[in-house]
Amino acid sequence: MQASASLDDLRVLDISQGIAGPLCAKILGDFGAHVIKVEPPEGEVARRMPPFYHDEPHHEKSLVHLLLNTNKKGVTLKIDTDAGSGLFRELVKQSDIIVESFPPGYLESLGLGYSSLEKINPEIILTSITGFGQTGPYSGYKGEEIVAYAMGMIMSISGTTDGEPLKHGGFQSQYEGGISGAMATAAAALMRDFTGEGQHVDVSIQEVVNWTLVHSFSTFSWNGGVVGRRNPEGTMFGNVMPCKDGYFITQLGQGTTWDKLVDFYGKEELREERFADPGQRLANGPELDSILVDAAKDRSVKELFSNASKERILVGMVQTPKDLSECPQLESRNFYQEVEHPVVGKIRLPYTMFNMSETPAQYQMPAPLLGQHTTEIFHQLLGRSENDIVSLKEQGVI
Amino acid sequence: MRKLPFEGIRVIDLTSVYAMPYAGAVMGDFGAEVIKIEGPGRTDMIRGGGVGGAAFPDMDPGEDPWNRVSTFNQLNRSKRSITLDLSKDEGRDVLRQLVSVSDVVLENYTPRVMRSWGMDYPNIVKLKPDIIFASNTGYGHGGGPYSLWPAQATTQEATHGLCWVTGYNKGIPSKAGASYVDFLACWSALFAIICALRHRNKTGKGQWIDVGMYQLGAYGVSEYILDYAVNGRIGERIGNRHPWRAPQGCYPCFGEDNWCVMSVGNDEEWTALCNEIGRPDLAIDASYANNERRMALHDTIDVIISEWTRTLNKTEVMERLQRVGVPAGIVADARDSNVSPHYWARGFLEKVEFPEGRGMGNRVMMGQPWKFSKTSIEIPRPASKLGEDNAYILQELLGQSENTIEQLQKDGIISDRPSSPVKPVNPSLEEQVRLGKLAYYDSDYKKGLGI
Repeated sequence: MQASASLDDLRVLDISQGIAGPLCAKILGDFGAHVIKVEPPEGEVARRMPPFYHDEPHHEKSLVHLLLNTNKKGVTLKIDTDAGSGLFRELVKQSDIIVESFPPGYLESLGLGYSSLEKINPEIILTSITGFGQTGPYSGYKGEEIVAYAMGMIMSISGTTDGEPLKHGGFQSQYEGGISGAMATAAAALMRDFTGEGQHVDVSIQEVVNWTLVHSFSTFSWNGGVVGRRNPEGTMFGNVMPCKDGYFITQLGQGTTWDKLVDFYGKEELREERFADPGQRLANGPELDSILVDAAKDRSVKELFSNASKERILVGMVQTPKDLSECPQLESRNFYQEVEHPVVGKIRLPYTMFNMSETPAQYQMPAPLLGQHTTEIFHQLLGRSENDIVSLKEQGVI
Repeated sequence: MRKLPFEGIRVIDLTSVYAMPYAGAVMGDFGAEVIKIEGPGRTDMIRGGGVGGAAFPDMDPGEDPWNRVSTFNQLNRSKRSITLDLSKDEGRDVLRQLVSVSDVVLENYTPRVMRSWGMDYPNIVKLKPDIIFASNTGYGHGGGPYSLWPAQATTQEATHGLCWVTGYNKGIPSKAGASYVDFLACWSALFAIICALRHRNKTGKGQWIDVGMYQLGAYGVSEYILDYAVNGRIGERIGNRHPWRAPQGCYPCFGEDNWCVMSVGNDEEWTALCNEIGRPDLAIDASYANNERRMALHDTIDVIISEWTRTLNKTEVMERLQRVGVPAGIVADARDSNVSPHYWARGFLEKVEFPEGRGMGNRVMMGQPWKFSKTSIEIPRPASKLGEDNAYILQELLGQSENTIEQLQKDGIISDRPSSPVKPVNPSLEEQVRLGKLAYYDSDYKKGLGI
């Protein structure tokens, strides 16, 4: 039986590029929204982002593109031409949500800003996901992953004091922007259900990153304290620590008492007064670290992780992408979705983010080939004849 | 006044620590009536010591330190508070009554806890067939090998793959930030709850939402997982560099521990950078002519850039580079963020006023990281004190008699203080700097913030 979808009454135009915007639109599509990815004729930037399938640079083989554009149909349209922006307006009339990630002011310069679109379709929700948001003195600034992490405060507490501030690996701010953007967009849709009115949703990736600094941000306003990076020595407890064949993290919490932790690591000297409370453990950090490293040196990371977890002691094991792709827990959660793509063939993509009993994410289709549904959409949705479509193609509009 | 998205929705919040309490706070900001439930002997660990550490207002723990810490108040604003001992049947009975007049339940216990109390989804749905029940656990429910295991974001960062790809260039795996995956869980749960509300509005049906943080964290390293799956690469640590843009890095600026990042991704940005740092010769030097060559000479370029940045303060580096079209930004610390002219102009930050008797004053909190053009979302009020709304909830919401309430108090089912308060850990700011818990402190912070 086909499960229900909570967003299947919504049509989304995804004119965003890269990671955050396309992820936002994809999540809406996972829960039933009808998403049309609108790209310039040369394709959006993610199609040129490495890594590529079998390391072959090709606009259908970018792994990021394949990941973030499932459950979308694809059309090409030059929205920066008169004919193109006219067609786009026609699409807007028949849509509910637009997701975009252009520099603030760009859509206005094409006559496609929110105030113009609202006149065409008062119910339209325009979600803009940008580095610094639509307003404020930095709105014109150029964003990049590392810039979001620096200005979003998180680098100031990452890394060690003997080195420079450190960013997270990968494109975490983009994933964060996409997920929180999907949430804000859904909230706007929920409000529209009552009011019949759309609105402009302005997501700032810088603020999304900063929003996660609940402890260090709030401390300042409470007592003026500024949290920094950690000391390189004596701070392994609660951070990454080596063991026989890898790295792990151990910490207290969730009912793990210090005594229980000492039992697990089997080092009686940890019961001494100098390790009795958090303040003492911090002050005697270097000794604490060397005792724990010694306790773990002959134990494998998998053994530490599973034995500790079974005793309800908090341990994390540093896993590689290989470990994750073979993980039985992720299998049990149906995390991976096998996809049949016309160019790369069968590929297993990370897919399920969370479970819902009545309206789960439902896989519909792989990422669209560039312009794959152009004829279908302009014919079915906008009533363009085949001749019209041929002539638009000849003009280079689609 | 335009209707808020969650107006008329009542939420039972049984959660603790970061992810789900923050989701509850957003629901409160969205207009829901959020009731946080804590056991008198099992209060949210964030109220004292705890994973995030505690800052007391102006270093004063006061008579009720559990109501005063910074992190707790950021994460639990806009909520009412009732204490209920759920290990006792009388406590669970009140919870059952509350569920029957509510729309959403938030919980983040390991799967066995709610089951052992008979308060898991299959039991709760009998009390309120259209309830939306949102669970967040470390590994997600179901039959997987880790499902029953405890987890927190700090240890999960390792397990979900983020530590493997985070760290200094060619260095060991590292943590970065704080409790990263909690926020992915927070936004995901909120998104799912909104979808569930829409579905309930259309069909009258509730449902169970089952968020597992581990898979959300793994989702954030998807491109590495795919690169392994199809190209056999297991990923590497490249510090602040970029896989294909060069130069990119974090550079020292004038003064102590001041930094600015920048990222150059094409020839146009490279030329702009060279001109701005007074080295137009590099822009026409063939050895730096494209990204690939710049990547190969990254170390050399870093030395040249650092010579320039060291002479300037970090804001000047950012402003000059952004002016010529090079992505750049200061490494903002807590003070920079709290006083950021950009944040205040956008309304990201709010001053939240506590009731006079609480001795908390005004404090700065982060509102929402996005704006709606027609609906203003603001923090409606600070967190209630522990158990502050016991009487309101039991009397006005559930129609209990005063006698019953007295009895519940006598039996220790409800209370307005923790049954065994944690002794506040409150070392002086100097001591915290000495221990490395703080980089520095600003004695004039209240003046700077206007609070």
